Amino acid sequence: MLEGVQYVCEVLDWVKVNDMDDTLRSLVDYAISVGQKQKVDLILGLGSQSMNNQIRFSQNKIDINKQWQSDLIELLVVVEGNQVSIGSFSPRDEVYVKERVHAQIKFAQNMTPSPFFMGVESEKHEIDHSSYDNHFDSNIDEYREKAPQVINTCIDEAINTGAKRVAGSFLFGKNSYYLSSSAGPTGSFKNTFYNLTVRAFQEELDASGQGLACGRIPTSSEKDLVQAAAKAGQFSKSHKNAQQVKAGLYDIIMNPAVAANILGKIPQDANPLAILIGMSSLGDKMGEKLAPDFVNIEDNGMQPGGLATTPIDIEGTSRYNTPIIHEGVLKSYIHNTTTGNMFQGESTGNGAFVDFGIGSKIMAPAPTNTVFNNGDHSFDELLDTSRKTIYVTCNWYTRFTSRISTEYSTIPRDAAFLVEKGELSTPLKNFRISDKILNHFANIDAMGNDRVQVKWWEVSVPTWIPTIRVKDCRITTATQ
Amino acid sequence: MSEYADLAEFGMEYAQDHGADYSEARLIDGQRVAFVLHNGNLISGSELPWKGIGFRVLCNGGLSFVSVDNLTKKAVKSAITTSVKMARNSNPKEKIDFGPPVSNVAKWKVPAKENLRDVPLETMITKLQEMDKVAEDAGINTRATIFEAQSLTKYLVTSEGTKIESDLSMLKFIGVITAKGVLDSEQRYVDLTRSTGWEGTKTWIEEVENECGRIAKVASQSDHKLTGKVDFVVGPEVVGIICHENAGHPSEGDRIMGREGAQAGESFWRDLTLGKSRVGSDHVTILEDPTIPGTGGYYLYDDEGVKARERVLIKNGIITEPLLNREFGVKFGMGSNGSSRSSDFNREPIIRMANTYMKPGDFTFNELVEDVKHGIYMLSFTEWNIDDRRYQSKYVGFECYEIKDGEITETMVRRPVMELTSIGLFSSVDGVTKDLNFDFPGICGKSDPGQGVPVYAGGGSIRMRGIRLG
Repeated sequence: MLEGVQYVCEVLDWVKVNDMDDTLRSLVDYAISVGQKQKVDLILGLGSQSMNNQIRFSQNKIDINKQWQSDLIELLVVVEGNQVSIGSFSPRDEVYVKERVHAQIKFAQNMTPSPFFMGVESEKHEIDHSSYDNHFDSNIDEYREKAPQVINTCIDEAINTGAKRVAGSFLFGKNSYYLSSSAGPTGSFKNTFYNLTVRAFQEELDASGQGLACGRIPTSSEKDLVQAAAKAGQFSKSHKNAQQVKAGLYDIIMNPAVAANILGKIPQDANPLAILIGMSSLGDKMGEKLAPDFVNIEDNGMQPGGLATTPIDIEGTSRYNTPIIHEGVLKSYIHNTTTGNMFQGESTGNGAFVDFGIGSKIMAPAPTNTVFNNGDHSFDELLDTSRKTIYVTCNWYTRFTSRISTEYSTIPRDAAFLVEKGELSTPLKNFRISDKILNHFANIDAMGNDRVQVKWWEVSVPTWIPTIRVKDCRITTATQ
Repeated sequence: MSEYADLAEFGMEYAQDHGADYSEARLIDGQRVAFVLHNGNLISGSELPWKGIGFRVLCNGGLSFVSVDNLTKKAVKSAITTSVKMARNSNPKEKIDFGPPVSNVAKWKVPAKENLRDVPLETMITKLQEMDKVAEDAGINTRATIFEAQSLTKYLVTSEGTKIESDLSMLKFIGVITAKGVLDSEQRYVDLTRSTGWEGTKTWIEEVENECGRIAKVASQSDHKLTGKVDFVVGPEVVGIICHENAGHPSEGDRIMGREGAQAGESFWRDLTLGKSRVGSDHVTILEDPTIPGTGGYYLYDDEGVKARERVLIKNGIITEPLLNREFGVKFGMGSNGSSRSSDFNREPIIRMANTYMKPGDFTFNELVEDVKHGIYMLSFTEWNIDDRRYQSKYVGFECYEIKDGEITETMVRRPVMELTSIGLFSSVDGVTKDLNFDFPGICGKSDPGQGVPVYAGGGSIRMRGIRLG
């Protein structure tokens, strides 16, 4: 896939904790003290220690086991009021940390004043960890031994339910963080996570299905993982002998993975950084009706089990639950301290070090967990329509002509079906959704009651979303 | 040579001592200087030391990868112990084989006259601000600039005797440009990535001025819609992305054999026969070559220590050679052709493109155009995508002009859509020009976790007959 530039919001996932290596924690504190001695206006450090694993598999077998071990300090330094530098390094000892802090101060002194920095949280809050129970799996280290066996079980399950070939990746691990700021706030957190993608194929290339599972506690996840594998196997079997779609207007029933990738982009556009750089559809839409009354969407940094849930943001501000869309109307943007000031508001606890893929990071707002309300329709009720309708279970390669108008296209892949007489009928292939996402948003017709958390290759922001039916979507196909 | 080279060698040998059949260490050490500008304002910057080691281990046919950024013996020992254990425990149903040993010893470096480490920060900032100013003067109202100057050394050492030292120098620049238009805003990424020293920035102001002028022109003048069947004359930028997406990706050996099945996908080449299956007209020959200096995909030895060379993916419309690393070189019975790349120390080396392009033909540009009764000249593109078998593709034109009776007119065509299969697209080509331009630098994404590697793509101009607009 050719990415061009990918606007990536780095979402820090934190949770309560205490077992970070004491050396790293003390080096973060030391970095802050070095900066204070140099009389910088602000120095803020985030230490992170992680050990993450991945098992990749294809053609019914494990291809490779991976592990990443990382100790990192990320530092924000501000001099002369608003000359900003953000750097990172793997710390060795106090001598090296001192050298890095001095280098970063010198770098900041070479910068020009940034209009994109107006301070950080200055109050030290008592952190309420009660929302973050069950975000750390105390058996994670033992689980590393067991994981290959779990994956082999998933492969077998996909085959038993109809797959001929199974591929996927299983990522899991633990992270601990320690934040310290010369402005006051400190905090330490830890979490664990897992994230499985299983893709099942028939012998032919174009009959396939996908299953996803993600969450915080790997050792309690086996049932979900096996179910995801079973779903992939079943979909691939049902997708055999798929037929070419005819171009035209269709209603589309988007399963949660598809809805998260497409519809999730609108609430994630409620971000002043995206608006300022021309990458948002919501710059001039505050207070406008964008979706039907029954659509409510929040950015919830405190969502229990959320893969972006943390007690505080990078600036030390407590997380909030920010209503983005209320009864279909755009109500708020997310903010950090700076954009809160810019927009005559307050921080919503969304401060993050945002990474554009290359170049320096910047301190700016980033979405946490995007949370759609659950609907009240069963899946059978969503299928109960007399309109020309397609059910899509997976999509990829979503690209825009304009992020402002949301003119885009995406390619459904894996199982897709025509819906006829309230049931899934003919399996379909070889089509593209080419439309405007704002149109889809206005045409949301019904929401399922099957909300799940989605995070995978095509959905970088954890999104809690049900199956959603959208009217009048434009379908295109190859002309030759 | 990095001060951590001994540690990389220690880790490689420690793996051998602990039961590895094969081990390798890939050390990256250097620095990255980076800035972000918004509408001319410098909003963030940093100088990042960048170092770490990635280890791969083969044990009883099982493969593992471990990376560390904490460069101490203690951390390396712990990583290697884990790595050997993971490889041994994976007990694969089919043992992984890297084929005959590779034991190349070499040093190479990116040609760079002006070392990026010697360039004062003020010089970099001034250059970026000057570039922003010309974009503003061209009428671009929203501009975000992301810049990075990378100076890295890479050291690959393997248990088979390979030792490759390389000095890398890369400039990355991406401008996110939005121009207000008559009908809609027009958006485009301006990518000036290249492997070079600071001298590579000499033409940047001119390039940004030219590109932003074109974006502003599209925003103000592109309003003519066309439908029906037309001929296309397509410029090097669009030819480049077509070569990358419709020929380069499906030629990746790991895709063809399913290893990327879960994320990046498989390939329609799986059901074709190398040397026999036709995917395009006789005019279509597509090459891959990492050894072109200055390009984003430049390297002389790949990340498995195999010497880089040109690969002929498609010759006169027939598929000929897939991109292969050592593992898939064995599976295809063809050996590696030096296609293994890793985006960083913390990523597994996998099969990647470098610089992909259409071989020049024997037409002049005027000869291509003069024979078109009604058509579109597509210089550049905006939205695009392709399915994960690399068969169903879509390219939306950005700067496009109507061709009438063999002449390119001043009428700008608004967002014409080519929605074609790979075979439909390459089969429609009936002429390729003699020139060669690498007008498309980009970051190619693949795998999970994602690995963005710099690539170039290009060609001459091509003519495509009888394309029904999407």
